[in-house]
Amino acid sequence: MAKPKVASDWLAGCAGCHMSFLDMDERIIELTKLVDLRATPITDLKEPDIDGVDVGILEGGISNSHNEEVAIRMRERCKILVALGDCAVFGGVPAMRNFVGADEALKRAYIETESTDESGKIPDDPELAVLQHVRPVSDVVKVDVFLPGCAPHADAIFHVLAELAQGRMPEVNELTNKWH
Amino acid sequence: MIKLTVNELPVEVESGSTVLEAVQKAGFNVPTLCYHPKLVPYGACRLCLVEVEGAKTLQPSCTFPAAEGMKVHTDTEKTKAARHFVLSMLFSERNHFCMYCQDTDGDCDLQQAAYDEGMNHWPITPAYKPFYVDTSHPDFVLDNNRCIICRRCVRTCAELVGNHTLGIEERGSANILVADGNVPLGESTCISCGNCVQVCPTGALIDRRSMYQGRETDLTHTNSICMDCSVGCYRVVKTRDNRLVRIDGDMDATFADGLLCEMGRYNPVKENRVRVNEPLIRREGKLQPISWDDALNVVSTQLKAHDSTEIKAYISGRQSIENLSTFQNFFKDNYKVGQTALFGHDESAAVSIELAREFGAFESDLGALEEADAAVILGADLVDDYPVAGFMLKRKPGELFNMVLVTKEENKLADNFSNRLVSVGENYEQIINLLACHKTAGSCEETDQIIAEEGLAARRAYRLLESVQTWQHPVIIVGKDFAKLENLETLKKLIRYSQEVGAKVIIMKGDTNSFAASLLGLEVNPEMGESPVAFYAIGDGHACHHAVDGMKNGGFKIVQTSYMDEFAELADVILPSKIWAEEEGHYLTTDGRIELNRQALIPGVQQRSVSEVLAGLAEKSGFSLQSDWQAVVTDKISSIVLA
Repeated sequence: MAKPKVASDWLAGCAGCHMSFLDMDERIIELTKLVDLRATPITDLKEPDIDGVDVGILEGGISNSHNEEVAIRMRERCKILVALGDCAVFGGVPAMRNFVGADEALKRAYIETESTDESGKIPDDPELAVLQHVRPVSDVVKVDVFLPGCAPHADAIFHVLAELAQGRMPEVNELTNKWH
Repeated sequence: MIKLTVNELPVEVESGSTVLEAVQKAGFNVPTLCYHPKLVPYGACRLCLVEVEGAKTLQPSCTFPAAEGMKVHTDTEKTKAARHFVLSMLFSERNHFCMYCQDTDGDCDLQQAAYDEGMNHWPITPAYKPFYVDTSHPDFVLDNNRCIICRRCVRTCAELVGNHTLGIEERGSANILVADGNVPLGESTCISCGNCVQVCPTGALIDRRSMYQGRETDLTHTNSICMDCSVGCYRVVKTRDNRLVRIDGDMDATFADGLLCEMGRYNPVKENRVRVNEPLIRREGKLQPISWDDALNVVSTQLKAHDSTEIKAYISGRQSIENLSTFQNFFKDNYKVGQTALFGHDESAAVSIELAREFGAFESDLGALEEADAAVILGADLVDDYPVAGFMLKRKPGELFNMVLVTKEENKLADNFSNRLVSVGENYEQIINLLACHKTAGSCEETDQIIAEEGLAARRAYRLLESVQTWQHPVIIVGKDFAKLENLETLKKLIRYSQEVGAKVIIMKGDTNSFAASLLGLEVNPEMGESPVAFYAIGDGHACHHAVDGMKNGGFKIVQTSYMDEFAELADVILPSKIWAEEEGHYLTTDGRIELNRQALIPGVQQRSVSEVLAGLAEKSGFSLQSDWQAVVTDKISSIVLA
């Protein structure tokens, strides 16, 4: 039997969950014996296979139109979708913006910051993705496995992927359900 | 007793119990948030819903009364779904993002409830409505965004502390926690006792100094006794890496419901005087470092150079019984100095001992305040000097309780009671006479005369005395302004009155360990200074300006102190002292409980306790110290405080 294919991507997050993924250290070698690691932000291949993967992993919340597209594409191309980390599960740190609104947040970041002079300007290139109300991944597409944590512990990520690779849905327990 | 079943297991509970109590007695666990064992059940959060056979809907177990034959189920599909829904609603209402909250991983009851339910995401998207954050208070922050409106804080403020500062404003999901009907906390009637912060199940009320400094599980907890007054509340000292992080009340304690006041909770963490880390000696007008051995030689030489009866030795009432006893043994028994005394002017402990000579065991413990329906307070300021004892009265129902308050100055306790007789001044004897008169007669000439003289304002107040015969559990509390040796005859009259009517008497006795000091024979209310050599064991205490002024007149001054302050600056030799948290020792509370203060911090290498210093001096002087305080203190307290 072919090894299950796994792809990941990141949205509005800090890359910390992927760092935590790397924190499993030499167990990555064990993991690659179980799964075929395909497109990820830290490998050469950047987009999940067109003919689909078994497990898709998303880090980060949905904060703009680009994140939304990436999430929808991943959902379309994977059988089991994992929301990795507090931002993907709850909205997380980017969702703090929702309490003030995107306009206020942009003004604070690009105009009012103490280190900004009069030339401060909110980026308005039409190529830029359109900002949205920040949402957890599950508000945009169906999520099958929630792995909260800021970031989730490497042990938890290894456990969840190892379980999925062996055809089991991971249990919700002290290891896999730890918010921060 | 009521018999019922919980999850088909039979259990028997006392009549008047709630379903939650029955569930817990049967050994099951139902998650709760607004419930707190020290508070009246409120039923605000609905997390504790259970299924009761025959009932149309699920019932909140914390408020639902247990009944005979009731069949309760705690873990059905219906209850699980309800709990999941309640938690989903709570998380959706405000900012409950754990990753930027102070209270996480074991510190937050809301997060724990979600873990227990196996909830790993929020089914309902949060509303993202910002709420008011109040940062005006110096000791804690109120963040309404983290609040779940369980009202534990509001109920603690009212039911336990009797301060009624906190309340809820607005309706439904717009509910916010406010002080005094919406005044910034820092400008409100808040007395900074911090009990609301301790009972808050989430990060809505957080402690400023310890926030973001580690979870409860990262801190070392040391159960100990408070020594910021002589009430003797139980507290938990929380440290990390030999640093004091926070102090909480021990809510497992039954005494005073584990409450603390501002002094007990915050004084130790607010301490900001500079620590003395090594012995110092005054040379050419300046304090300079010296070795311990040299310092003890200087002290020993000075003590020997003078007639011992001219020498005086003073010690702080904050010192442990062990230290007080060693001090008395060294200076009085061995050195036979002219005077050994406590700092301060509080004679109340000495008065209590004096009265016990005539009356035997005449005092009650502070537990008497719990059942009291009337209090006569003579010369005591419970609110400022013994706040937790004050809470035990402030929380009484203000309309039903009878309060007679005679104090030198205006007293804050008066505001809480409508049936009150407030007399500002020192009319202790007059009130005792009136009480004695009304004990037998409905009306008294003297009372009528006062009302005639003082007019209508006094009328209602003095009429209170006419109800004296109906008081079931009166308590008489005497404080330092009245408990003076010069008032002994009047006090005897009071004790005789109390014994005739069966009123309980409590004498509030000075500093932390003043009672023990007096039992050990230390004098009180000394005249400081006026001696060629004096030893001042102030430790981590604060000397009053009277002590500072008095000390200026003295000769050679040896000061054992933990901190460099105005008092220490006057010393000729400074011996660095341990602080309260750095040594183990016993304390005798105002009502005769002997309690252990446990060591929570490791002192610096040069800091020594009074006992250690005196052992060193004794060695140099060639005598051995004895400290058999147990025999002295234990035997004597039973003859003063009623068992």
